[in-house]
Amino acid sequence: MLALDLFVNGLIIGLYYALMAVGLAMIFGILKIVNFAHGEFYMIGAYTYTLIALGLGVPPWLALPAAALAGALIGWATERWLMRPLYTGYGSWGLMKDEYAVVVTFGLSLLLINLFDKVIGPYPMRGPALWDAPRLSIGPFMMSGQKLITAAVAIILMVSLALFIKRSLWGRQIQAVAQNRLGASIAGIDTARASSIVFMASGVLAAIAGALLAPVINPAPDVGIFPAVKSYVIVVIGGMGSIPGSIIAALLLGVLESFGAVYLSYDYRDTYGLVLLILILLLRPQGLFGERAREV
Amino acid sequence: MRQNRFAMAVTAAAFLSLAQPAQAADPVVIGVSIAQSPPGSVVQGTQVKDGIEIITKMINDEGGVLGRPLKIVYEDNQGIPEKGRAAVEKLISRDKVVAITGGHQSSVCLAEIEVAHRYKVPYVNTNCWSDDIRAKGYPEVFNPGNYNTRVSTAMAETIGAMKVKNVVAFAENTDYGIGQAKILGELLAKQSPDVKYKYVALDRAGKDFTPAVLPLRANPPDMVVNVMLPPAAYILMNQLYEQGVAPSAKTWFYDGAGIADYPDFWQNVKEAGKYMLAFGLYHPQMPMPDIGQQVGQTYQKEKGHEPNRLIFQGADSVLQIVRAIEQAKSTDASAITQALKDMDYEGVRGKFKFSQEPGYSFQQWVDIPYVTYQLTEVDQPLSKTTLIQATGQPLHADKLVRPSN
Amino acid sequence: MPARPHPNLHTSKLRSEFLLSLAILGALAMVPLLVQSNYWLGVLIVSMYFAMMACGWNLLAGYAGQFSLAPAAFAMLGGYSTGLLAYHLDAPLWIGLPMSIIMPGLVGLVLGRIVLRLSGAYLALTTLSFAEIIRLVIYNSIDFTRGDQGLNVPALYDGRIGNYYIFLGVLTLIVGLIYWLLRLPLGRFLQAIRDDEIGAASRGIDVLRYKTIAFIISCAICGFAGGLYGTFARLVSPELGLIAQTGLVIAMVVIGGMGTLAGPLIGAMLVYTASEFLRDVGGIQMIVFAALVIIFARFFREGLWGLLRRVAVRRAASKGTP
Repeated sequence: MLALDLFVNGLIIGLYYALMAVGLAMIFGILKIVNFAHGEFYMIGAYTYTLIALGLGVPPWLALPAAALAGALIGWATERWLMRPLYTGYGSWGLMKDEYAVVVTFGLSLLLINLFDKVIGPYPMRGPALWDAPRLSIGPFMMSGQKLITAAVAIILMVSLALFIKRSLWGRQIQAVAQNRLGASIAGIDTARASSIVFMASGVLAAIAGALLAPVINPAPDVGIFPAVKSYVIVVIGGMGSIPGSIIAALLLGVLESFGAVYLSYDYRDTYGLVLLILILLLRPQGLFGERAREV
Repeated sequence: MRQNRFAMAVTAAAFLSLAQPAQAADPVVIGVSIAQSPPGSVVQGTQVKDGIEIITKMINDEGGVLGRPLKIVYEDNQGIPEKGRAAVEKLISRDKVVAITGGHQSSVCLAEIEVAHRYKVPYVNTNCWSDDIRAKGYPEVFNPGNYNTRVSTAMAETIGAMKVKNVVAFAENTDYGIGQAKILGELLAKQSPDVKYKYVALDRAGKDFTPAVLPLRANPPDMVVNVMLPPAAYILMNQLYEQGVAPSAKTWFYDGAGIADYPDFWQNVKEAGKYMLAFGLYHPQMPMPDIGQQVGQTYQKEKGHEPNRLIFQGADSVLQIVRAIEQAKSTDASAITQALKDMDYEGVRGKFKFSQEPGYSFQQWVDIPYVTYQLTEVDQPLSKTTLIQATGQPLHADKLVRPSN
Repeated sequence: MPARPHPNLHTSKLRSEFLLSLAILGALAMVPLLVQSNYWLGVLIVSMYFAMMACGWNLLAGYAGQFSLAPAAFAMLGGYSTGLLAYHLDAPLWIGLPMSIIMPGLVGLVLGRIVLRLSGAYLALTTLSFAEIIRLVIYNSIDFTRGDQGLNVPALYDGRIGNYYIFLGVLTLIVGLIYWLLRLPLGRFLQAIRDDEIGAASRGIDVLRYKTIAFIISCAICGFAGGLYGTFARLVSPELGLIAQTGLVIAMVVIGGMGTLAGPLIGAMLVYTASEFLRDVGGIQMIVFAALVIIFARFFREGLWGLLRRVAVRRAASKGTP
């Protein structure tokens, strides 16, 4: 039946959104700054995957880790050269570290988009699917093989991320940095390394999202704008500092858009997120799972 | 305004004084505004450019225009109306072109013809299908390309001949898409009032149309019509196929946007394209003048794959301007405009004269030839597709094939 | 003796910036005497459109420290106010143009009330999302806005040079308005909020109120720029509100000098005319400007204006040494 179909489709889209947004939620939640080049991390992942798989003739499964690596690299480089000054004394920007992050990452976003446009060319490419089956039946639902795999990988990645942060040593160090950076450094935690790890993880997640979705959302220099805007909406709705909150907000958004497109209006699909965003800001500005309980 | 007219008079006088064959080295410059980067249709823009390059070389190899070499200046309008407006302004005021052509996306054309009209420079509309462009009645605008009413008429006839009862059309939310979908609805209401028809507007920049497709899974129509351009068209086709909606045993898929002859068509849709019906402005089995065959063969040799209609339309646009200049023996804008209006033209795709009927047929090649064909195998080249309806002939519905599931 | 306001570093700095801005505007006024090409005059007109947006955004971000990422969206809203009124109601420009100031201002009031309470990161996020989504709404509402086809706007004046001076006049008014605002206590409060919001609040400044005022004025300026541009290009389309356009505005302000009067002017004129030159060289202009934004933000917060001033100060100092 239609409603169930829409619900499942909404959840799958929501999982895509979650995969896109969770990297941003990490940076936002742990380092308390916004990365406006987030969409471009996604774009780099999509291009790396597509170019390596198509250009070098490598099977797509091997191109996926390559995309992850590219994401880690760009994340590390951004943190090291552009963000590090925020903590080691950024002089003329005074207390405006948010604003510095905004301008610098926005500039980075523009730079990356135009660089790729010039070097690789503006023509959209088609990323190869990991699983070429154009349609499968999963119970009463029909979907392509790629959708199934993407959903599965998204779930695996997010569960791994949760385990990493809750259980591992580095994960707990990151939690400490999120709660109180100065305190954490006094306690002997290498905060610079923690920042690096967070940026790298964010890059990896965004890049893998780009790679997995490459067959659906064809890589082009400006392909990152769409996931980025969705991620911003999701992160605010989910609540700053809450990664589970972002995941839930993503799923919610996916389902909302799916139903809204059919029952309300297809043309205004993208506005449902904005309406929800404004409602949250008015009624519960800390987001659904916001920063009251200072936990990651 | 007075400044412009004065400048043009001076330029015209300068050109006229140079138009004696003995001294010519000054090229005749034609301006081409096409999309060469997203969100415009780069594939279309590149094909128009390819066609123009081929004919330009052919013209220059035979001595050029009025003894002068032909030069083309390209501007990238990115498929954005505002950029198209700026591009045409630049071509006219900076590059001093004698005519503008190349347009292939309707909303961009609509913005560009305003500029051409203001400066009174002839504008040859290569591939913008929207009827509004003609209906404005600008004397500078000429339309040797296809138009929405033509496609919708053809599609309405096909739908009638195939005796389908329930049709859903997906149209891109542009002037071209919505225009064509609406006209199709009106024609069906008049010719086959027992056909249930509705259209759904989709965002041409959208990535996921599954919510729009899912309701069709519950209530499959007899036919799904496509009025969308790539890349959204490919995404739609793949998702229709994924959900088992079309092409299927119950539901036909009929493309009215002419996407089957795009070079990246099969690579993007694979299985989903099999059994598709297509409205075609070019098919290897269509009769074509010698010069058209020459253009086609040159393209095949240079690029290694079949040409498509945009190649021929692009070539025709430039060739017609050149013939008009030769007929007027002048590169003055109003002379070219007058020549285009009056001339009997034989070009790359056939012989015609522009109609002067107001409305969608104003300065339009009204009887543009078309065919209907069906794709029956994946990766099938055009020459091997089944011609269901030849130029000017009725449809042979018995030649159609259905998938088995 | 009548009391005079204490001349201090702030007002004298402001005054010297204003004088330089007037000099730049004066130079622009002379340009049509030397440049006859319609094409290049057109380029300068569009640069002035960007300069207006840059001034508006600089007031909000450079002086009040509020980094909205929606200046281009508000220009688009202004243009569409004029365009929609012309299209649906045949409204003449003397109604349409003032609406391009009022409507964006109202939207700014509503949006500002919601987002200005929140920290800088939230403001940037929500304004960016708002900008992109409102652009998509306009793009998709084909029956109301004609979608990507855009709306035709009547011309204010039919002549390239006339339009040039209209834009120059409006730009001068905007610069003058900002100068006047900054000389009021409002100006000092905004900068206090920028430099230390908590400290400013502790001194009794109604932070939300002043932020909102700055936001509304910035939106209104951007809106008017959009409306005026519509009368020049005779067309408004959703492309006016693209994020890339906001990126250009931010690049212009950062490169020219954020938080200074002349910075946005210098940045806008330089960046846009340079981009027209660079376009012929091979389309690398955006790469260059984006790289400059990063470099300037990282190393030269004061932008070109700051660099120029430093050079001028050093030269004056070396001359004055006995």
